[in-house]
Amino acid sequence: MTNTLPETRIEDPLASEVDRDVDSWWKIRLALTRRSFRENWKIFRRNKIGVLGLVIIAFWGIMAVMPTIFFVTGFWNPAVYDPVTGLELDPPTRTMTMVERITDPNTEIDRRAVLLDGRIPDTLQIGDTFELPLQPAPPDSRHWLGTDPLGRDILSQLMHGARASFFLGILAAVVTVVIGTTIGSMAAYFGGFVDAALMRLADLLIMIPGVALLIVIGAVFTFQLWHLAVVIGILSGFGGTAIVLKSQALAVKVKPFIDAARVAGGSARHIIFYHLIPNVMPLSVLYMMFTVTAAIQSEAVLSFLGILNTDTSWGLMMNLARTQGYLLQVTDFWWLTIPPGLAVTVLSAAFFLVGRGMDEIVNPRLRRR
Amino acid sequence: MIRYVTRRLIQMVFLFLVFLTVTWFLLYILPGDSVALKYAGNPNIPPEAREVALERLGLDKPVLIQFRDYMFNFFQGDLGVSFNQYPRPVIDIIGERLPRTLVLFLTALVTYYWAGFVAGKYLAWRRGNRGEMAVTIGGVGLYSMFLPFFAFMLIWFFSVRLGWLPISKFLDPEQWRDAPFAANQVFMRLFWVTLITAIAMFAASFAGHRTHSRVLARILRWGGGVLVIAGFLFYWFGTESGQGMRVYAGDIAFHMILPVLTLTLIAFAQVMLLTRSSMLETLREDYILTARAKGLPEGIIRDRHAARTALLPVVTSLVLAVATVIDGGVVTEAVFSWPGMGEILISSVLSEDIPVAVGAFAFIGILALIGHFVVDVLYGFLDPRIRVTEHG
Amino acid sequence: MTIRKLPLEVSTGRAPLLEVDGLVMRYDTEAGEVSAVENVTFSLGRGEAMGLVGESGCGKTSVALSLLRLAPDNARYQGGSVRWEGVDLLDLSDQKMREFRWAEISMVFQGAMNAWNPVYRVGEQIREAMDQHFDPPLSSGNMDQRVERLFELVGLDPAVQIRYPHELSGGMRQRAVIAMALSCEPKLIIADEPTTALDVIVQAQILKELKEIQEDLGLSILYISHDMAVIAQVTDTLGVMYAGKLVEFGSTRDVFDRPRHPYSYLLLSSIPSVTGPRRRPVALEGTPPNLLAPPSGCRFHPRCPWATEQCRKDEPPMMQIGPSQWAACWHYEQVPEMGQQLP
Repeated sequence: MTNTLPETRIEDPLASEVDRDVDSWWKIRLALTRRSFRENWKIFRRNKIGVLGLVIIAFWGIMAVMPTIFFVTGFWNPAVYDPVTGLELDPPTRTMTMVERITDPNTEIDRRAVLLDGRIPDTLQIGDTFELPLQPAPPDSRHWLGTDPLGRDILSQLMHGARASFFLGILAAVVTVVIGTTIGSMAAYFGGFVDAALMRLADLLIMIPGVALLIVIGAVFTFQLWHLAVVIGILSGFGGTAIVLKSQALAVKVKPFIDAARVAGGSARHIIFYHLIPNVMPLSVLYMMFTVTAAIQSEAVLSFLGILNTDTSWGLMMNLARTQGYLLQVTDFWWLTIPPGLAVTVLSAAFFLVGRGMDEIVNPRLRRR
Repeated sequence: MIRYVTRRLIQMVFLFLVFLTVTWFLLYILPGDSVALKYAGNPNIPPEAREVALERLGLDKPVLIQFRDYMFNFFQGDLGVSFNQYPRPVIDIIGERLPRTLVLFLTALVTYYWAGFVAGKYLAWRRGNRGEMAVTIGGVGLYSMFLPFFAFMLIWFFSVRLGWLPISKFLDPEQWRDAPFAANQVFMRLFWVTLITAIAMFAASFAGHRTHSRVLARILRWGGGVLVIAGFLFYWFGTESGQGMRVYAGDIAFHMILPVLTLTLIAFAQVMLLTRSSMLETLREDYILTARAKGLPEGIIRDRHAARTALLPVVTSLVLAVATVIDGGVVTEAVFSWPGMGEILISSVLSEDIPVAVGAFAFIGILALIGHFVVDVLYGFLDPRIRVTEHG
Repeated sequence: MTIRKLPLEVSTGRAPLLEVDGLVMRYDTEAGEVSAVENVTFSLGRGEAMGLVGESGCGKTSVALSLLRLAPDNARYQGGSVRWEGVDLLDLSDQKMREFRWAEISMVFQGAMNAWNPVYRVGEQIREAMDQHFDPPLSSGNMDQRVERLFELVGLDPAVQIRYPHELSGGMRQRAVIAMALSCEPKLIIADEPTTALDVIVQAQILKELKEIQEDLGLSILYISHDMAVIAQVTDTLGVMYAGKLVEFGSTRDVFDRPRHPYSYLLLSSIPSVTGPRRRPVALEGTPPNLLAPPSGCRFHPRCPWATEQCRKDEPPMMQIGPSQWAACWHYEQVPEMGQQLP
């Protein structure tokens, strides 16, 4: 408990008076960023929850680059392991016997099955045996997580799905933050009508159920992955993120260095981009994490519902398992549902955990005393 | 307070108009007249039929006129006609679906909010950083659980493995084959009876909260609760109309358990984490120390002082939670084939039944706006700093 | 507990009401054990006003909280006793302690805004305390009457009780806090920085009223403050704390006129005196010690301009200097004279 003096500093803690000289301005800013990064890393590291999230993200990051390595080194043959067009031509088989009445569906087939399943030759007689190719096939040494009903490798799809999730999540987060900081800072700086209009828009956006909106947009657009990322980014950037960043920017705006910059003749653009935005940046990074979580979840839901036009995605893997009717056979075909389901959960949770860890840096009040 | 409510109400109406406008333009204009393309742009349709179709759908008029007509009709309850169930009016479909969704949302919202708040309250009260990691990771895990995956795991476990609950759908067709009632008739009865019960329950507990006498409060809270439940049971078992419908109403309620459970578990963690951190913050406040110095029992300090104030930021978060639970509800309905607004939204989108999609989405928007409005009023009511200043 | 009614029973006796004897209280923290209250001994009589002064973080608030056993969860009582009319409060069961709080000792907290729960009316929060401590419980009408009397006593309009805390000014809130502190007719009120957040005029008014109430009702008050000027106006006896220890204790007059501990001396020299002997203001250098690892010997020695080898090695005991003055300094005899010699 110490008495703190009233804040008398008028210089921007990040910028300095040399900011007219672009070259040295960036150098100084970079040095300051590096220093604050080191300090913040120290705080972040103490929080085991954030570190755990980071470890999970790193794990999936490695997963996302593995297929490239496997294909380049020839460890995986693209004809077999490609997540979309790959096909296991030599799947494991099970010996089935033709019978009159099935008593054990795992080893016996009847006339009806021959009619329904194109893979079974119709010359089969009662008592004949037949090697039925298993697809989806359970994990074995060639396919560590088994294959899907179309004979494609699950692990490869999982890895490509990770890649798609990262691409989508990070793109959405970047769009969110760029829009959110700009809108938030502008609303805070200009106030008045600009502020009112932008904030009413934000109010509207946070009230609209996002997934429902994306479904409706999906009805009329053919949604590519990057479209989705941009739409999520816009919704979140103009919505919740803008509100939070605006209140942060308001807190920065009343600091004396903003007045100093204005007195020194700084233009609105200069003040917003050189003073306000850099100072609300830490909080934006925090909101990036939460956007990534939301983006990964939305993508998975949309592709699960079959609304997204994409070819590799965790949601799509679940969609296939569902449409082919394997979803509720969890004990028999666990490799079709559990890996993608857990992947979505774990990766989006990881970003959320990192966000919570960063929360302690941004809100010193939360730090453990 | 009245001024505050009126102002919020006007804002909501305004927001809804903006929302409807944006939705309409988004769907009708942006994708290059997809409706026209689909139904009138087909080269196999003869030109005369095409003209008629365009005129029928009102697509031959200028955009602004179309928009004006749509808005005008919307507020008269005319949302157009479904393409797929032609010529069934959209409003009719929504009228059937909306109460079902409302029940699902409200039940889940109340359950998860209450459970999350209570869990967060006790976790914070037991305090200490012991178990903090486990609680946070567990909470975040549940919160970011992939909903369809989680729902299917629950269905698999409770319905396939244990066989306790129905797998999906709204009711069991076998049982309803000779039913003397339409499903909606029974459902609406169930809806009203449950709503009245809930309101009576709330009123009793609220009256208990208001009185200064502790004895009277207890009588009102417990006695009122028992009386209301007794009334509820009496309706279903004692009265003639209730007895007849009981089996069917029970079937509907039975089919509701799993969707509500799914939605509750997913959303509950978020409220729990939030309540816990809000409550930990509140416990550091000076007035908690005052309350302890006053020699108040621990239970009163926890519930009346800490939890009551910690509730405020949690209620604020409801604003976001309303949207989240609606989203969750849409997906849950799809997974459980529960014939509500979410399910019709998705199926109409997949089958490109645009009028139904817009209508469903507009009503989901209304639902969200009403939810938002209720939360705002609730907040104003809970926080005297808003309530008192505004009316003064 | 007995039924008590206004007017409050007036006690004129000066028999010790509260005796704190060798109290040791430490906080368990992640960084180690913080020695917050170290071997503190003092007593307080009926109707007496005592002051406890010291810098922020010197343990004065910890002492106050210990009297009600309200210190945070990580506090450990490691020795000594707090006797209230002969009963050791540290031995009471939690339930008994809960009944004891506010009925016998109540508290006026620092920062009156935060002492009120923002969501309840002021009157409700006062009634809530009375609800707990009367047996049989007061009737609703009876309670209303009492709240009105209390508000009149502290110079507030009784209508204020239906207001919410945020509707009151700082001074009104502080008066209402005092009304709340009086509500269960305690024998002792602990006033922790009672006027710190207020402006000077309101401060003076409230102190004056508090003093009058104390005298009228025969209450004891323990003032806790870092502000010597406040303490001088209203107390009979005075304790000076430094780094968790009581370094000087005695009648306010004696301590002010002739401080015997260098720390008290330096503290007092920083306020200009109109009536007392003139002192040269001397700056107190350095910062309070880290209580995770308190200095050896006398805890003040690193900052003491007169510290000797002995001070570094041995801890000075509390020594009686006059009929009503004690100090813990090896060189207490020379303190005032040495002070005059400082540059």
